[in-house]
Amino acid sequence: MENLNFRYYLKIEFSEPVKNHRFTVKCIPQSDERQFIEEKSIQIFPNESLCEGNDSFGNCCIFGNADLPHQLFEVEVSGHAKVGLASYTKARPNYQISIFRYQTEYTKPGNQLNQFFSEIDFDRCDTNLEKSKKIMQNVYKKFSYKKSITNISTTAEQALELGQGVCQDYSHIMIALCRMANIPARYVVGMLVGEGLSHAWVEIEDNGYWYGLDPTNMLIVNDHHIKISHGRDYKDCTINQGLFIGNAVQQQTISVRVDRT
Amino acid sequence: MKNIDLLKRTDTVNELLARYGVKFGIYKNHTFKEQLFPFDAIPRIIQKDEFAYLERGLKQRVKALNLFLTDIYNEKQILKDQIIPEEFIYASSGYLIQCENIHPPKDVFSHISGIDLVLGKDGNWYILEDNLRVPSGASYPMIARELCRRSSPQTFHDYPIEDNRNYAQILKHALDYVNTGGLSVVLTPGRYNAAYFEHSYLAECMKVPLVSNTDLVVENDHLYFVDYSGKKEQVGAVYRRISDEYLDPMNFNKESVIGIPHIFDIFRKGNVALLNAPGNGIADDKGIYYFVPRMIRYYLGEEPILSNAPTYLPFYEDDRNYVLENFDKLVLKDVAEAGGYGVVFGNTMTKKQKEDFIALLKREPRRFIAQEVIDFCDIDILEGNELVPRKADLRAFVVSAEEPVVWKSGLTRFSRNPDSFIVNSSQGGGFKDTWVLSR
Repeated sequence: MENLNFRYYLKIEFSEPVKNHRFTVKCIPQSDERQFIEEKSIQIFPNESLCEGNDSFGNCCIFGNADLPHQLFEVEVSGHAKVGLASYTKARPNYQISIFRYQTEYTKPGNQLNQFFSEIDFDRCDTNLEKSKKIMQNVYKKFSYKKSITNISTTAEQALELGQGVCQDYSHIMIALCRMANIPARYVVGMLVGEGLSHAWVEIEDNGYWYGLDPTNMLIVNDHHIKISHGRDYKDCTINQGLFIGNAVQQQTISVRVDRT
Repeated sequence: MKNIDLLKRTDTVNELLARYGVKFGIYKNHTFKEQLFPFDAIPRIIQKDEFAYLERGLKQRVKALNLFLTDIYNEKQILKDQIIPEEFIYASSGYLIQCENIHPPKDVFSHISGIDLVLGKDGNWYILEDNLRVPSGASYPMIARELCRRSSPQTFHDYPIEDNRNYAQILKHALDYVNTGGLSVVLTPGRYNAAYFEHSYLAECMKVPLVSNTDLVVENDHLYFVDYSGKKEQVGAVYRRISDEYLDPMNFNKESVIGIPHIFDIFRKGNVALLNAPGNGIADDKGIYYFVPRMIRYYLGEEPILSNAPTYLPFYEDDRNYVLENFDKLVLKDVAEAGGYGVVFGNTMTKKQKEDFIALLKREPRRFIAQEVIDFCDIDILEGNELVPRKADLRAFVVSAEEPVVWKSGLTRFSRNPDSFIVNSSQGGGFKDTWVLSR
């Protein structure tokens, strides 16, 4: 178990004032069996109208309006997390497991994924967890980390063809392969010890429990990971979504920092 | 029949319909054109007993469909009990993941259901399709009846016809029943929607505001109607005539400029009622249609009163064999397509087309349904001074509040082309009033 302090910071600067801004932000970690979140502080600017709620996966969302003209939008979430209280979370509600067996636009396999899948040797892998670890090892071996090759709309199939990418691509490829093996798999957004951007990894279901696997670092999710949200793919976990009136160029800055205490 | 006074007034009624702007719009080659909806004064007549039978069957069907929607977006008992294979749900475009774990106010998903039926030549009614998203068409028989009564009051004095002018009250009651506090409104995408006449007419008859997205705003977890002076009033029920896809750019299609940001988020919280609820597309999907009789048995423990057109799912081996053996007499439908697309008749294919289709069917059996071609009854229409038979269907409207209520009328559409089975208004079809007899 680790005690971690975290701070998630998002800033959008608009080149011209914008108004009637509507936004949904999904960057608030919640407590579960594996992590306990305390001293949570959420600062959003502008804050004319803010409400908290959930999406269909149970992720925490803030819905807001900023009608008056503004050129700056800021979100800061900070707090303390006790992480690694368990190595899994219970699949709850259990009727929502099957949905994660189905491919989405991001994970739909083509020739590359089919070929890759056929090369994986599942010998002596009996459980979903063992199979998933095998898939993770194969993804880690085949794919390499490189920034700016892929972008947020790159699919698993496209990324695999490029052979390089970031955590989002590692996760989509691994999810696609797990689903091909009929293992329920979901996309997770969170934070990792250190300084940088948000991170993405995978959760797979085995016998009523979700286990986190991080294919980018080839490790079982342990006490270095703070989970923010999950969904079928990247799109379900979009951290910030907004609409506004105004002809402005946006400059986005994200900085995440997680320290051991 | 020909001597009924009303029939002599067909032209008068059509002129009045034109004056009242009873039109529907169609987009052709990227231009919007409005057309009159030709009215034929010979009504479809449904006997009292026959309607009572339809009423029982329709209520039963809509009850089961509503229970199915609550179940499928929550506990999914029907999947666990293997009544419906889960791939028919999760791989369907009608299933919206955003609707998971939602209980709409009073657990009503389909407040207004438009159920399409035909009367077969064998004397049986068959359900062709359930429309649980944004079914339209009730306003046409409503206003036609109004204008017929005006043109020929005697006809309505002489015949025992159920009054159908209560549709607005039935609808308003359904809105009030689920209203979470505040106004009820009709939300239209605007003047250039195909059914704009209907939106405005229903709002007028219910005496509720007709609004577009710019009149509504979500603030502090509630929906407000902002009037011309800037005054805000809370809205508790929205009869929305916008499809799910365009309803809320924060949750569905991001490009939508006719939606209301965050309306779906407050709907999830139970702070506004949306009629019909988002996500209903999973219940009127072509593949799911096959399972509706099973749903009725499963949720209600009753035998279905009204039959589906005989339908086969190539997904099941027995059905697949039947389809392959009887290919030439069946109609095949692509589950993912709508509006008459992706429908082919086995007997119209060339040998090559047939081989290709069968190969595709074997490769993707889940994608298709096959149906017996139903030979359905003609109804006479007046062409000049002649009575000529034409194919016609019936859209029955079932409005659900505490209990489903079947409107004692309906939209009868007919094909103007003598050789056609296609009754769609966009294909130049016309409509008739539907008389339900009260004795």
